[in-house]
Amino acid sequence: MVAHYDENLLSDMLPVYYTRLFPQNIFCRWLACGNSPQPLSNRELSFTLADDVYIRYLSISNQKEFQALLQKKCPYKLDIGAVYNNKPSISRHDAVVLARELVFDIDLTDYDEVRTCCQEAKVCDKCWKFMVIACEIIHTSLKDDFGFQNILWVFSGRRGIHCWVSDFEARTLDSPGRGAIADYLCLIIGGDNQNKKVHLGVDNLHSSIRRSIGIIDKYFDEVMLDQEFIGTPERLQKLLKMIPDETLRDIVENNLTKMPQSSLERWKSFVNIYDTYLRENGNAIRKIKYLLEEIKIQYCYPRLDVNVTKGFNHLLKSPFSIHPKTGKVSVVFKPNNARNMKLDEIPTIYTLLDDSSPDNVQHQNNMRSAVKIFQEVVFSLEKAEAMRRRNDANTTLEF
Amino acid sequence: MDLKIKRKSTRTAHSSNLLENYPHDLQMYKVPPIENIRLHEFETLALERLTLLRCLATATTLKGLRIYSNEWREFVLNELRSQGLKYYANLCDISGFGTSEADLQARRKDHIGHFILRLAYCRTEELRRWFVARELELFKLRFMTMKSEAVVEFFKINKLCYTNISEEEKNEIIGCLRESTMHQKVDSLKFYKVKFYEVLDLVKSRKVYIQGGYAYIPDKDFISVLSAQYRIHLKQSLVVACHHLGEIEQDERLVGLLKGLHQSYSGDDYSDTKVVVPIETLDSLSVKSFPLCMRQLHEQLRLSHHLKHGGRLQYGLFLKGIGVTLEDSLRFWRDEFTKIMDLDKFEKQYAYNIRYNYGKEGSKKNYSPFNCLKIINNNVGPGDCHGCPYRHCDPSNLKNRLKGYGIEHQALHDIVDMAKRGHFQIACSKYFDAAHNTELGLGINHPNQYFEESQKILKGENKVEIKKETKQTTIKKEQSKQMEDIDFDEISEWNE
Ligand code: SF4
Ligand SMILES: [Zn+2]
Repeated sequence: MVAHYDENLLSDMLPVYYTRLFPQNIFCRWLACGNSPQPLSNRELSFTLADDVYIRYLSISNQKEFQALLQKKCPYKLDIGAVYNNKPSISRHDAVVLARELVFDIDLTDYDEVRTCCQEAKVCDKCWKFMVIACEIIHTSLKDDFGFQNILWVFSGRRGIHCWVSDFEARTLDSPGRGAIADYLCLIIGGDNQNKKVHLGVDNLHSSIRRSIGIIDKYFDEVMLDQEFIGTPERLQKLLKMIPDETLRDIVENNLTKMPQSSLERWKSFVNIYDTYLRENGNAIRKIKYLLEEIKIQYCYPRLDVNVTKGFNHLLKSPFSIHPKTGKVSVVFKPNNARNMKLDEIPTIYTLLDDSSPDNVQHQNNMRSAVKIFQEVVFSLEKAEAMRRRNDANTTLEF
Repeated sequence: MDLKIKRKSTRTAHSSNLLENYPHDLQMYKVPPIENIRLHEFETLALERLTLLRCLATATTLKGLRIYSNEWREFVLNELRSQGLKYYANLCDISGFGTSEADLQARRKDHIGHFILRLAYCRTEELRRWFVARELELFKLRFMTMKSEAVVEFFKINKLCYTNISEEEKNEIIGCLRESTMHQKVDSLKFYKVKFYEVLDLVKSRKVYIQGGYAYIPDKDFISVLSAQYRIHLKQSLVVACHHLGEIEQDERLVGLLKGLHQSYSGDDYSDTKVVVPIETLDSLSVKSFPLCMRQLHEQLRLSHHLKHGGRLQYGLFLKGIGVTLEDSLRFWRDEFTKIMDLDKFEKQYAYNIRYNYGKEGSKKNYSPFNCLKIINNNVGPGDCHGCPYRHCDPSNLKNRLKGYGIEHQALHDIVDMAKRGHFQIACSKYFDAAHNTELGLGINHPNQYFEESQKILKGENKVEIKKETKQTTIKKEQSKQMEDIDFDEISEWNE
């Protein structure tokens, strides 16, 4: 595939992209739905322009205005904010946030302490698997535990994924409510000064944690092979630091250093050593009852940026916008298909607009199916909204 | 609120009236008192309520007792008794619905005291938060100790009706209930279904089974539902009270009293400092006078020339609080950040935030530096090194760091031990003493307070209580009194 993208081309390409490929109509419907009872024009949009100029508090009332605004400003970055009690451009000081999708932001840079294939802005299909796991775990919890239905998953354009929950209950949830959901989902806690970031205690495991571990288990061996979490002496040290019981730690160190470097083999014997140790030392259980689960979680469980979820007016990159650095489209995807996504199959503005590019056809197809998925989500959201309004009307009539 | 203050009482409420108004020890304080009350009693009740609330705060922050634990409760009750507040001790011990005159009088005082403090604590966001937090603790404490008949009665009086789920429904999910409910003998409990957002505290800590948006709670957990409602009610009432302050404060006697009350608690929020601290001194100050949380951030910044958002906020506001000016602050961060990025990027991405901290951008609010509670409860994620080291460092990391800072063995052990047991601020106080060679046992609740206390000692404003009274130091200590600006580094050298 062609690898030279020229950022300078963007200012020529973006207007074409916005007009021809960006699903403006569905996009406006998606935002409008999420806005009820307030009109679309109360939703904040923000643009980042070519020269890094940042404009906040923009808004649109319909698709026509949107198209006009896109053509006029040609934003390199397009972000979506909250719905206010007024048009966001007026009366800034007494603006009140009335609604906002419940959002989640997962970024691979937060996996730097565990992933071994890439660091920082780099991503590859190996570390994409972390996103696959994250998506499945969070999606399942949002649906099964919280009962949410209208959930949109979006590739962030470079190294992560975003999730937008548009159910009425989610959109109008207050910040303590958002905080509680974020905390409920967040199992990895601690900064650079904590080696062990997961503590499950000794009580029963909460049903949701047990379920998440079930999901991780489906991928665990594969990820272990990809990442070789404990294949080198330094990486092994990291594992050892997660073992709070000193005796066990020594035994593990002695045994694993002698082994061949395959992480999967090493992990298997670690599990055996752990089981034997626990059988022989009943009272060690207080500290290490869920050690295996804790380590698996630390390796594979989603690492949420909780501040994004907790905050009401955090601006988040719009679906189908272009990432200015990679040229990639922030495509919408189906959570159960995340696994089959390959990073270089994600359409870029360059390949989409260049007929001669070898990826052109495939990327066109992928773009079309992403738009289709977006449509499906918006249709079902519109249906749910209509139903909610009908119910509301009925209950008011009864009184 | 319609509280009339008279110099002399014109009537006393009759018991029959009292019984009607106060049927239960536990109240939701929905209706304000309407009786006339004498200024003297007003003042007494206010102070007594304040003592009660402070006592709760002391138990948690200063004594480091685990909230709602038996020891915590014991401490609170004993403290109340020893302060002569037997009626509060009784109300908190076993809440019930007795009808004796003593019961009724206690409830009346409880009621009035609560409403007076609303007036004193509605003024600022910070005060409100403190008040709501304490009142909620009180409410929970009292709910927890209630016998089950009293609970039933309480629900009846407050017209709270909920129906439990059927046996069938329960049997379908019994496995999950056993796993996810934090109570013994789950099988014999009745379960109720409420929306998940009614029990956010349980959701947050994963102590409840939720499915399809509903939380399944046994009756014991109703305290979560109630306190959530109570919290909302209280918050709204405080806003309302704030709007009516003007009317109440036409009585001058009250103005002084109410303002005095909260001053006696709130202390400084360090959002306005008079001193100016030049940034050139930060390296040495960080060694001498910074609490661990800030020293860590300072060192990290110098080392990696970068801090993530949480760190910039925590450290930036602290610096503002000790007296670093906006211009200096910009220069300070710029000098570090531009070692790894170009100036343009810094100006675009970071300068805004620094000006924001100083109230020059966005909502233009003058932000106060974070206190310990906030820092301790902050989110600290991968790549972060803010937060409170006593809470957010592994014991082994903490140990190494303290060792590196030259804390001697015994003190080091004590500090790490306190931190391990969850008494972060006490650990911090011990570190203060070890670093300054004192035995003050300060209650640390704000990093800027730590800094100021430290500066006082170093500048000789406080009498320095040197720990080990060796002969050598006594002599030196006398000298030190004469010195204007005593330098801490020197003191520690004298001790060696
Ligand atoms: S207790 Fe407070 S001052 Fe001390 S380190 Fe922790 S946050 Fe900082
Ligand atoms: Zn990778």
